[in-house]
Amino acid sequence: MQKILKNVCLICCCLMVIPISAQRIISGTVFDENKEPLIGATLSIKGKTTLGTTTDAQGKYMLKLPNNNEYLLKVSYIGYISQTYKISVAQAGEIDFLLKEDAVNMATVVVTGTRTPKLLKDVPIVTRVITADEIKKVDATHIGDLLQAELPGIEFSYSMDQQVSLNMQGFGGNAVLFLVDGERLAGETLDNIDYNRLNMDNVERIEIVKGAASSLYGSNAVGGVVNVISKMVTKPWAVNINGRYGAYNDQRYGGTIGFNAGKFSSVTNVQHTQVDEKNLADGKMDEETGDWAFKKVYGDRTWNVKERLIYTANDRMKLTARVGYFFRERDKSPTNKDRYRDFSGGVKGNYMFDTANELEIAYSFDQYDKSDYLLQAVHDVRDYSNVQHSVRTFYNHTFADKHILTLGGDYMRDYLMSYQFADNGSKYQYIVDGFAQFDWNLTKYFNVIAGLRFDYYSDSDINHFSPKLGLMYKVGNCSLRGAYAGGFRAPTLKEMYMSFDMASIFMIYGNPDLKPETSHNFSLSAEYIKGRYNLTVTGFYNMVGNRITTAWSEALKGQVYTNISNIRISGAEVNASAKYSCGLAARLSYAYTYENIKKGQPVISTTRPHTATVRVEYDKNWKNYGLNIALNGRFLSKVNTEEYTSNASYEETETMTYPAYTMWKLILSQKIWEGARVSLTVDNLFNYVPSRYYNNSPATRGTTFSAGLSLDIDRLFK
Amino acid sequence: MKRCFLFIIAVLGMMFLSFSACDGILEGIYDYPVADDRNEFGFIKNDPSTHSGTIYIDATDYRRWIFIDFHTQKIDSINVTNSEQKEPEEWDVAIHRYDAKTHNGAVLETGYTGLVALQNAGVMPEGIYVEDVWTTDKIAVDMSGMMDGNIVYAESYFNEELSKWLNVDKSNMPPAYIPSNKVYMVRLKDGTYAALRLTNYMNDSGVKGFMTIDYIYPFEL
Repeated sequence: MQKILKNVCLICCCLMVIPISAQRIISGTVFDENKEPLIGATLSIKGKTTLGTTTDAQGKYMLKLPNNNEYLLKVSYIGYISQTYKISVAQAGEIDFLLKEDAVNMATVVVTGTRTPKLLKDVPIVTRVITADEIKKVDATHIGDLLQAELPGIEFSYSMDQQVSLNMQGFGGNAVLFLVDGERLAGETLDNIDYNRLNMDNVERIEIVKGAASSLYGSNAVGGVVNVISKMVTKPWAVNINGRYGAYNDQRYGGTIGFNAGKFSSVTNVQHTQVDEKNLADGKMDEETGDWAFKKVYGDRTWNVKERLIYTANDRMKLTARVGYFFRERDKSPTNKDRYRDFSGGVKGNYMFDTANELEIAYSFDQYDKSDYLLQAVHDVRDYSNVQHSVRTFYNHTFADKHILTLGGDYMRDYLMSYQFADNGSKYQYIVDGFAQFDWNLTKYFNVIAGLRFDYYSDSDINHFSPKLGLMYKVGNCSLRGAYAGGFRAPTLKEMYMSFDMASIFMIYGNPDLKPETSHNFSLSAEYIKGRYNLTVTGFYNMVGNRITTAWSEALKGQVYTNISNIRISGAEVNASAKYSCGLAARLSYAYTYENIKKGQPVISTTRPHTATVRVEYDKNWKNYGLNIALNGRFLSKVNTEEYTSNASYEETETMTYPAYTMWKLILSQKIWEGARVSLTVDNLFNYVPSRYYNNSPATRGTTFSAGLSLDIDRLFK
Repeated sequence: MKRCFLFIIAVLGMMFLSFSACDGILEGIYDYPVADDRNEFGFIKNDPSTHSGTIYIDATDYRRWIFIDFHTQKIDSINVTNSEQKEPEEWDVAIHRYDAKTHNGAVLETGYTGLVALQNAGVMPEGIYVEDVWTTDKIAVDMSGMMDGNIVYAESYFNEELSKWLNVDKSNMPPAYIPSNKVYMVRLKDGTYAALRLTNYMNDSGVKGFMTIDYIYPFEL
């Protein structure tokens, strides 16, 4: 009996020892080029999402590997070029890593151009990335602030009712597709989405693809795609709180809580902003301001709440759920407030069959409402609701570890109730699409990408194919890219069915017979990267057909949506950047746009031909102190245009000149302790005050100041 | 496994919740006033003991003057673009959109922001009573040419003082509507006084041009 017990004990011990002996530990330190430890660097094992870790306050890490298999270890840190290291069979012990700074962001992984993750330097479609670090340097609240500061050729102006209107090198808000983590946004006002929804708190990066991209994204991707990628937490827990106070009682508060617990990972983000009314005509007589487009900017307040929960079931399957709520209230008058709300949610499943096959299925819900809050009646009366339900499928197959075939299909139900429909009525339609793309990496230096998408719109019975062909050739430090892409925008329910009495002035009628807008986009670009320098030159030519706009109808004695003749938009863009190890960096971007619209058309170009952005900064970090001084400048040339003198005729015009201006912002940001950052901002540094306010004038009364504080609580207590 | 199951149930629950609401969710957070819930126009409230009440009129039509007679507590209207329609013989105050005129009367804007406060004060407000003036560019009857600078106006008397009850601030387009919230003393042609206060210029659904006016007539000490 004693012998049996001994044997059982021996077997048990063996069983216990086997897993212990199989487990091995890899540890070490992650340094930068100056041998300074990198705190918070991420170490992840390919295909084993549960095994990753991050470096501690001394830059040290420890990985426990469950067996003696071979693993691929990826070491990454924001702003540095990631390294991949093969851990050989049974290898254990210390491994240190030295990461090189990614001076020109070329090691950033992007997804928008191809819908598959690719390094920025390898993506065949020209993509501009704005990193989280750059967002901080611009001190942007929402995407409008950021894009204007970072990209030339972008102008956010006011249109009627002080609604924000985008012009991106000749393309308006409805011809540029805005996405959040690849999902569309419901709702629009005067052809523009609510840009306030895209707040910049907790954003990982923003990817901008200029030019048509309808072969992957369908309608609206005529002039470009802007994709906001949210930040996920890679540490066990992370908490950030931030606040900013500025002129006109401009307040911004944000908070993010994230955790990783076992198979669950979550990020919750809340942001609140508010600003008082800005009186631009203060101290001026009515005679001076009578012809201004606007004399004050309404005050408003916003709330934006987002939650994203990820469940990693195993190395193959990941489920993501998200919900969001957005609220904006605008002080329209003492008796009325305009309210804008959005409710969003979605679930997504990713399944990796093996390293070559991956499937994604997603459902998305987005509801954007507008209501009038009547203070006298104490009623909140909704007069607009756009509800979109989407189901998306997406499949990737990788051939020979390098060629990628992408197949996908979407279904969307689009519902719209609007005060602009007769009797506040509603309409809905179904949209079905399918697309395929082949990313063919012929050699290390030559890449071909081809795609085709089919879209069907039930209400307008539109069937449309959007093609794309892109080539990239790398020679030395140069990458040459050339592309043809088809753009497409289906007429919206609003454009088809509007019946709106415009303050007893005229009626605006929809047109169910509208054809879709189409475009042929040709682009050529050359990119030169060497060490700390980057130079990119891009040229483009667009033939836009059937653009949809309102035009006077003598028969109806009102405005009616119609397709107009072809428009040609061409231009060029130059981006140059340099970053030095001493901490100095500079970026200069210039864009030229030429919009050719035939005379007598209902639309007239107000696109500024020359625009530029510039940033010069000094950035230096010590152990417990860091300093960043960034000077951001923006130059917009004047634009001369002819404007129609009559609402009902496109014959007589008068010459208008919108003046040039420059706008500068100086931001001093200091890391006062690990995880604590204080920033001071001087906006409109050179005190530019427009002599009169056009819709495209900056809504400024001169230099303003603001101060902000951001605390990463988890880093404070490390 | 149990957590996975709960997660999937929660996710599926959310999906079906959304699908069941094809045309949207949370409609209950909004108000749905019936547009014609107050389809009676005229002197809709009247308290003979205090001589006070409420007038509710539909002044949405640019072509229409609404005439108010405090003596008979009746309203009437005419279309100014129709020459066959004549002003009624007896009326005291008339409203066109937010414009106001009197029947040979005069108006004083008081500092009071409520009729009760006026009554409690126990004194007749003092100041200069403003009479109507003849205008050719105030009473817009056809806005359709506005974008071309061709608004059609009707010639008419106009009381600038009473029309201050709603400031239509056109510095931003569309204009902002700012009620003065003040009480206006109207001296009628027979020497009696009416105290008026515009309490709303919209109906319950937010449609502009529906005027709610609280009044005391006759206002006596």
